[in-house]
Amino acid sequence: MTDRQRANYAEFKSFVALNVEPFAETWDREEAIPAAMVSKLAQSGYLGCTLPPEYGGQGRDVVTFGLLNEAFGRGFSALTGVLTVQAMFSMALLKWGTGEQRRRWLPSLAKGETVAAFALTEPGAGSAIQSLATEFTQKSEGQPLLLNGSKKWISCAQFAELFLVFGMLGQRSVACVVPRDAPGLRIEPLRDLMGFRAAGLAQLHFRDVEVPAANLVGKPGFALSHVAPVGLHYGRISTACSASGLLRGCFEESIAYAAKRKIGNQTVGDIGMIRSLIARMGTDLEAATLLCHNACRAQDDHLPEVFEKTLMAKYFTSRAAVRAASDAVQIMGAAGCHGSSPVSRYYRDAKIMEIIEGTTQIHENLLGKIFVAQAGERAK
Amino acid sequence: MNMMQAADIKEAVRQFIFSSIRLPDLGDDDNLFESGIVNSLFAVQLMTFVEKTFGIQVESDDLDIENFKSLNATTGFVMRKNGHGGR
Repeated sequence: MTDRQRANYAEFKSFVALNVEPFAETWDREEAIPAAMVSKLAQSGYLGCTLPPEYGGQGRDVVTFGLLNEAFGRGFSALTGVLTVQAMFSMALLKWGTGEQRRRWLPSLAKGETVAAFALTEPGAGSAIQSLATEFTQKSEGQPLLLNGSKKWISCAQFAELFLVFGMLGQRSVACVVPRDAPGLRIEPLRDLMGFRAAGLAQLHFRDVEVPAANLVGKPGFALSHVAPVGLHYGRISTACSASGLLRGCFEESIAYAAKRKIGNQTVGDIGMIRSLIARMGTDLEAATLLCHNACRAQDDHLPEVFEKTLMAKYFTSRAAVRAASDAVQIMGAAGCHGSSPVSRYYRDAKIMEIIEGTTQIHENLLGKIFVAQAGERAK
Repeated sequence: MNMMQAADIKEAVRQFIFSSIRLPDLGDDDNLFESGIVNSLFAVQLMTFVEKTFGIQVESDDLDIENFKSLNATTGFVMRKNGHGGR
């Protein structure tokens, strides 16, 4: 880390300790993030972290973006969801939007005046994104599009003002910006989730929603092959780093408890079996930190291998976070099972990390294929 | 850009493709995307590779399968983006 990255990380952790951690339990219970909190994120420039200054963004490197997500992951994963989807939308638009689209939407996204969501998943298409049923129709090129269909499990959709909606225009996949106030769009909040309870998930119902052709992002036919992967890539970076922060939370809570909790004339940390759990947790934390940093550095250096490094980071950290959260609850016993302890929330939130932005099994399939192909290359 | 430089571009792209996917008998005009072996991850990896290696930006207008479908197509695309014409 550079001195500047280290200073930024200290600022992020301080922000989270002051503005997030004391309220996380309440927000989780109430299944909502206060609008004032989202405004604070905006005022701090966190919602436009990686966008270039020419659009009003902070222009920070991806290592710094990763540190931001790590710090928030320690405090409250559901709030990291806002950072995640804002980056997914913004970076996909920055890469594939026209000059006019960038000028129109990026400045308000960078300032956080507009919060966005990434509407890819459908009731019948999660991991199988090639099976999208959301349908766009258009009488002729340049004419407005009509949008029909449904999206589900869309983070931040309860309060987002813009959606990047993926669907099919005939045989071609398309991505289109749809404003919240578009007539025919109905937003149905999803409540009672196991984790990420305050992330504002919703189902979107589109019925004859008319969208200008100028809102199409990228050329028709390339939404799933090029537009979505850019967004999902940033989503994976964000989720990996957020899971690393959650893992740090499990570790810090566990060692603090193990050091002070007495059982007879010894502490919990004096018990060998507890030390085993903590040893694994601490080592996983170190590995997760390095994998996340490695992926973020690769993105800053614009290396082609960034995609596999990010897959590895997300795959490892999300699974390690699940293990760590389970062990943290185990170490703290009944105290860890109560809502007053953050580890009970970590336990519920960690599992979500293994599912969003590509399940563990999708990651295993992709990484396994990449590694086997590399072996084939070496055998030539 | 002379022919040697075009050959250098093609060789660099070839090395990248070989290091990413298992297509040992890939011909210069063989269609990568019809091979069934590549996926969307490879598409964005290839895009990132040409951007990084040749200092160009792949933009929305460049999204055309003809630009990336084969070794020769990708080489021609890089040359055109660098202002040297040709296919």
